[in-house]
Amino acid sequence: MNADFPLLVARELHKAYRKHKIEVPVLTGLDLTVWAGEFLCVVGASGSGKSTLLHLLGTLDQPDRGTILLDGERIDQATPRRRDQLRNSTFGFIFQFYHLLPEFTALENVLMPQLIRTSLWGYFWQRRKLRQRAIELLERVGLGDRLHHRPRELSGGEMQRASIARALMSEPRILFADEPTGNLDELKGREIIDLLRDLNRQQGLTIIMVTHNMDLVAPSDRVVRLTKGKVEAAPPLQMVLPPDGETVSNKQPHHPLIDPRIDPLLRKAL
Amino acid sequence: MYKLLLCWRYLRTRYLALVCIVSVMLGVATLIVVNSVMGGFSTKLRQRLHGLLSDVVIEAHDYSGFSHPEQRMKLIRSDPFLASRIEAMAPTLEIFAMLQFDYQGYPIARPIRLIGIDPESRSQVGGFAEHLVLNRDKPTFQLSEQARKYNEWRNQSQRLPFQPEPGLPLAPGEKPLPEPPPSEEFKPEGAIVGYAIANTRRKTADDNGSHELRLLQPGDDVLITTLSGQKLQPVYARFAVCDYFRSEMSEYDSNYVFVPLDYLQQLRTMEDRVTSIQIRLRNEADSKAVVERLRTLFGDSVKVETWMDKQGPLLAAISIEKGILNLLLFMIIAVAGFGILAIFSMIVVEKTRDIGILKALGASNLGVLHIFLGYGLLLGLVGAILGTAAGVAITVYINEIERTLSALCGLEIFPRDVYYFDRIPTDIVTLHVLLINAGAVAIAVLFSVLPALRAALLHPVRALRFE
Repeated sequence: MNADFPLLVARELHKAYRKHKIEVPVLTGLDLTVWAGEFLCVVGASGSGKSTLLHLLGTLDQPDRGTILLDGERIDQATPRRRDQLRNSTFGFIFQFYHLLPEFTALENVLMPQLIRTSLWGYFWQRRKLRQRAIELLERVGLGDRLHHRPRELSGGEMQRASIARALMSEPRILFADEPTGNLDELKGREIIDLLRDLNRQQGLTIIMVTHNMDLVAPSDRVVRLTKGKVEAAPPLQMVLPPDGETVSNKQPHHPLIDPRIDPLLRKAL
Repeated sequence: MYKLLLCWRYLRTRYLALVCIVSVMLGVATLIVVNSVMGGFSTKLRQRLHGLLSDVVIEAHDYSGFSHPEQRMKLIRSDPFLASRIEAMAPTLEIFAMLQFDYQGYPIARPIRLIGIDPESRSQVGGFAEHLVLNRDKPTFQLSEQARKYNEWRNQSQRLPFQPEPGLPLAPGEKPLPEPPPSEEFKPEGAIVGYAIANTRRKTADDNGSHELRLLQPGDDVLITTLSGQKLQPVYARFAVCDYFRSEMSEYDSNYVFVPLDYLQQLRTMEDRVTSIQIRLRNEADSKAVVERLRTLFGDSVKVETWMDKQGPLLAAISIEKGILNLLLFMIIAVAGFGILAIFSMIVVEKTRDIGILKALGASNLGVLHIFLGYGLLLGLVGAILGTAAGVAITVYINEIERTLSALCGLEIFPRDVYYFDRIPTDIVTLHVLLINAGAVAIAVLFSVLPALRAALLHPVRALRFE
């Protein structure tokens, strides 16, 4: 993975929610660049549009205006089929409320992205390999002994681990985490964040995490702060200061609007 | 792959879905039972109707009949097309009449259909000999020995024995008057009487059952009055009951009286005229062609009809009745369909988040649609299979079930004497069962389309946020 190459680029994103003819603008011309292999924290007050941004980037929703590029491919206006494909194999999601399917065991939940992707026949041929991989992933997140437990038999932390394993099942290029610790106590939340950080460090998995808890942000992370539907020009340094007071390097200089490496890509795609 | 897994898992874990299955099951089972029983009745009725009526009938336009039946039959036999297809023929003479008899001193009179036949040829045509009560193997108008004696005894006891009046003592040399020549004793012809004419049902004292009361014994005299000649003048003759006709079709059993053809012709002064020729075919499927051929052969002088033409209105009525009943019963399944619609809508609401999750994991709208359509299909299939099993089981054991129910509620559900059936007739037609199943499954799928569409079109983000 090339850390110098922008994996995901969002330009001039606009999104508003409408209800009864009242328009509530959420994103108002947001620009963002995500680099391969980085751990990006999107922070901001409630209602600042963090989750909406995540949904737009993860093709769960479409912007009213603006462009999203994945490796130079425009994905905001991709066909539904392509977007389904992206969500299935390129992106992984973890949510605040875990969102595991209650009727299925942890193992089946982890297998689900593969089940969605493959046909009955295809699954039949690869079932050993796939199950093996799902078991390995569950062991990796520390749930090796809870393979056949249903979500309601798992604790919150365990459910979130299972959902991380599920997100990793299809070897995604980007992992979207929407308040992954929002429903957990501090200790469990810390464990989850550590797990994500390990994945980022050891496997170079690009992670975009939305949170409002600044305690979770590590010095090595890049932090993007949303205010009123836009990225603040530069995050206040004190927000990302580690507890021991060391200074941190910030990877922010590559602003998409001025970055010469991005613009040719954009021009081509547009 | 995930679609099948989800359908199956939802089927196993959603107990609400059992309600759908049960409603489909009940609908299918009811349809199968009602269809089979109605089919059974209708088949039995057709069999009986056909059993009594020959395949093809050549009929005169009125009661005076047509002449030379033997020659007509000879003509038919000489036609190679007809000869190869016809198995047996029997001339018959049919007329309305009045039957009178005494029962314990009370005169009883009944309107009847009087049919003159030759027992041998009529038996060959079928639908006659097998319905006789006493002489099934060799139908005859001869009275049995016992019946004849009984008849003689009855007639003697009613007539005063001849006793010469005590006259003056004979003068010497006077010869006694010669004995009058013995008059030839009148021997009544035999008559085969419908079973319901000769027997009647009476309620028992406690009103719960009924028992049979025999009005006419073999050997009893009956007086039959009918019409004769062009002027339709009443004529009557005395017959003796020699057998009973029991077809288990109450209309026939309470109306038909068979007497010897030649005697009836003589009584009605008809010479050799008959009103119809009953024809039995080797293969019933030929009846249309045979009718056509006979019509060209005889023209308009006689009516030629198949048994189905003759019973057309009754058969049509049965089939219309069955059709309407089916339509009404199918509404049951339609009601089950609305149940599926309601329950599915609930399940979709309940599963909104799961649908969001699936979409976040890359499931397409079509995939989600398939899940819920497949779910409907599965519910329909399971319901239909269970319903078929239940329906067939009930149909097969309907008599046992009826007996148990009757015993439990102390009420006779199926009064056997109404139809003369000792068992409830059933007839399971595989095609009908398949059609019912297909219809039930189709309705289940059809009514799950709307909820499935709703699920498919859910916005993933809104679904995920659904509380």
